[in-house]
Amino acid sequence: MTRQRRIHVDWTRCDGHGLCAVLFPEVIGSDEWGFPVIDGRPLSPDEVIHARRAVASCPALALRLETRSVKQPARSR
Amino acid sequence: MTAAATIPNPIGSPPEPATWSLGPPRLLAAGYGPRRPYDRASPRVLSRDQLTRDVATVGLLGRGGAAFPVAAKLRAMPRRRAVTLVVNGSESEPASYKDRILMRHSPHLVLDGALVVAHALRARRVLVAVNDEPAAAALHQAVGHRSDARSVRIAGTGGRFVGGEARAVLRALGGGPALAPGRRVLPSDRGYRGTPTFLSNVETFAQIGLLAALGPRAYADTGITDEPGTTLLTVTGAVGRPGVVEVPHGTPLSVLLCEVGAAPGAAILLGGYHGAWWTGDPAVPLSRPILQAAGATLGAGVVCVLGPETCPLAELARVAGYLASESAGQCGPCMFGLPTVAHDLQQLVGGHRSAASDLRRRLAVVPGRGACAHPDGTARFVASGLRAFAADVEQHQMAGGCGRPLRGQLTVSPTWQEVAR
Repeated sequence: MTRQRRIHVDWTRCDGHGLCAVLFPEVIGSDEWGFPVIDGRPLSPDEVIHARRAVASCPALALRLETRSVKQPARSR
Repeated sequence: MTAAATIPNPIGSPPEPATWSLGPPRLLAAGYGPRRPYDRASPRVLSRDQLTRDVATVGLLGRGGAAFPVAAKLRAMPRRRAVTLVVNGSESEPASYKDRILMRHSPHLVLDGALVVAHALRARRVLVAVNDEPAAAALHQAVGHRSDARSVRIAGTGGRFVGGEARAVLRALGGGPALAPGRRVLPSDRGYRGTPTFLSNVETFAQIGLLAALGPRAYADTGITDEPGTTLLTVTGAVGRPGVVEVPHGTPLSVLLCEVGAAPGAAILLGGYHGAWWTGDPAVPLSRPILQAAGATLGAGVVCVLGPETCPLAELARVAGYLASESAGQCGPCMFGLPTVAHDLQQLVGGHRSAASDLRRRLAVVPGRGACAHPDGTARFVASGLRAFAADVEQHQMAGGCGRPLRGQLTVSPTWQEVAR
């Protein structure tokens, strides 16, 4: 069992402020309207620190850090 | 091969689709109608384990579009909590009519299935979400004719395309807006007013009603080993005989097309406006697992036929515009992305050089970024259209058009009148 962490966006809350993409550009990009584009891969332990910062600074409280227990090691997409 | 006469409309409502079957009718067999006293024996009473086993034996898949295995859905229900049962009859896809046909003409079969599941799961409440007056009237009448349906409540829901999604229906039934929630919650965990809920499509319940009455063996008398039984399809577009057809699983697509009088060389959309254009084997067996393996879907059983006399790109653009207008507007990528996709398609129809590449780039970022699957389904529909009509895309880019008018063969109206025009 491994634990995987990913950023989850509540799209009904997100207003495209764009802070997350500024704070954590390694994983969060933005589309032409300013809404985040996040690749679905699980975060590395180093990245989790940055992810927490992005989650905490979202003005719309639209980001969450999700933890999932997975039986097999993650395959990168 | 064709059997069964068209069933007369018992309610006297606006025009509705012709209804027939290939092979003996099951779901639409006489005797499940709303009017006469329900004279059939009550459906077999099944325990939870027995029902789960029977459903797994025939490999029953949900008929609302996602084709989720019903046995898995039953197993996910908690055992020690009061559960709610929801029959989703909101049927909000414009090209689908089969659920309304079922509720109007075989309400007792739908109720049979719902009550079998309710008994197995010990559900106290059974809610039927309906968005169609004749269907609600037929269900009310049927409920009045039986003594075992006291737990059944028939509730109206909103009419938007995205309002038919499972979690949107649950929210609407609970008194909220008919919108999918932003956080992922499984209905089996927290559904109707926070209770664990078993929700499935009207046809799924009708199939369970049949399965309970026939038993898994007789149920599997028709269809194929991969998927026994029959399915209901709504066929619209450039065909001589549009309507709702019950077909045994495994019926070749070409046989269906011949039966409904589709023009040779017509383009076929499987699975409705969240589905994809079929360009593979014309004789592919109509079966959810087989189509799924081929990267296609039957969705809610919608088959649209596009004749060679209309401009396919203009048809795509019109439907994309409709899908954009049906966005609930609660998620940015859908609210802004879909109108842009529709606009790009219009530009493509007009022969704009860069439109196709703009469109492909945008289609890549739309999926997976909404509370419901509306952006994903729309992107899939448009992207598959670009592949299926690649030659037309090229012609529009080179010559500024194809000289064919827009005939509106892909309906964007929920009434049957316009479809059958």
